Amino acid sequence: MTDHICVALDEGGAITRGALMRRTAIGAGALVGAGVAIWGLPELSVSAEPSASQDAKILNFALTVERLQAAFYAEAARRAKLSGDLAQYVQVVGGHEREHAAFIEKALGSKAAKAPTFDFGDSTSNADIVARTARSLEDLTVSAYNGQGPNLTPATLAAAGKIVSVEARHAAWIRDILGILPAPEASDKAVTAAQATAAVQRTGFIK
Amino acid sequence: MTELRFEDLDVDGAFGEAVAELHGTSRAQLLRGAVVGSGALLGLLSLPSIAAAQTPSTDQAIMNYALLLEELQSAFYTDVDRNKVLTGALKEQATTVATHERAHVTALRKALGSKAIKRPHFDFGSAVEGPTAFRRTAVAFEDLAVEAYKGQAPKVKSRAVLASLLAIHSVEARHAAWIRRLAGKLPAASAFDDPRSAKSTLKLVADTKFVMTTKSTGSSPRFTG
Repeated sequence: MTDHICVALDEGGAITRGALMRRTAIGAGALVGAGVAIWGLPELSVSAEPSASQDAKILNFALTVERLQAAFYAEAARRAKLSGDLAQYVQVVGGHEREHAAFIEKALGSKAAKAPTFDFGDSTSNADIVARTARSLEDLTVSAYNGQGPNLTPATLAAAGKIVSVEARHAAWIRDILGILPAPEASDKAVTAAQATAAVQRTGFIK
Repeated sequence: MTELRFEDLDVDGAFGEAVAELHGTSRAQLLRGAVVGSGALLGLLSLPSIAAAQTPSTDQAIMNYALLLEELQSAFYTDVDRNKVLTGALKEQATTVATHERAHVTALRKALGSKAIKRPHFDFGSAVEGPTAFRRTAVAFEDLAVEAYKGQAPKVKSRAVLASLLAIHSVEARHAAWIRRLAGKLPAASAFDDPRSAKSTLKLVADTKFVMTTKSTGSSPRFTG
């Protein structure tokens, strides 16, 4: 019923439904290696050179994503009847997302956007949908961070770098719980800020 | 303790090339007076001339450093796969990750072209001869790779190169989470992953003694998580 949420998140760009299947997806086209680039690269979503003001915009976007994840896991822990591996995952990862949000909020200081209100609908109602939504959210978050990395100043990139690999760990963890390949491809795709924003908007999670 | 020269340890020169490039000095400079003991490259890396030198300064140096780490991982998984000592979920992890690490090597080599370091030789000993040692070593390698990429990302000048290295960095984190779960550890042990400097990373790599040597010091690999 609520699978459209996962579809909406995955349509954020690179994450295809096919990637859900348990398989190794290294196609002939995966590695391009033209010129100085290591392979076919995602387009840089922000054309301006890194700057403090651009950092703030990107960090606010990251803050929204982290707050969304934190709220999602908090509600899932309260509402869905979780047990075993998934209960542990939701508890541990929920804690991480709260720490990420606090970290970014502190970095932004007075520039931090106001926290939005979330409505997760049925997506926190049972273990199955919680796991599948979490998978989509985590993979999207990795793609979003990877997409913005090159747009950040080195100092902010260093800070964001401490978070993105933990998001990738979360993605691998929930994928393994779901019985799908934790690392489906040799390189993680990147999505643009516009793609990520559109994906999150389509879910209707942000009121 | 028999003293070994760096040249004897680093038979194919790959390590020296990578270290020299990272520290902005030449392999010849490294070799001059570089005498190392049983601590292998540890001694070399702590020489004052190296310590005083700059850390990775060019994108090419960073990519060669990444290539060295990918060659290490690629050989590790390829060897364990060939030994056919793994089964089930562990075998699936090793086979899949081997494919990824080989793809990383290929991509980096292609990008570096003639500037790529030579392919090093490795001997993983007992680490690729059974599931327990393999699992411990794999956890250590993957967590190390995440830290190593993270340490270099803010120094990369080309945004295109950075985008590519970030795409690898998060996959290494997925590998780390995957093998940690198979080892009964929390896939994400804390909310933040820390970076590691090239110097510290190379010390750890050297300390494994997985880099093939011509003169054995008689000890087995120690870096098993």
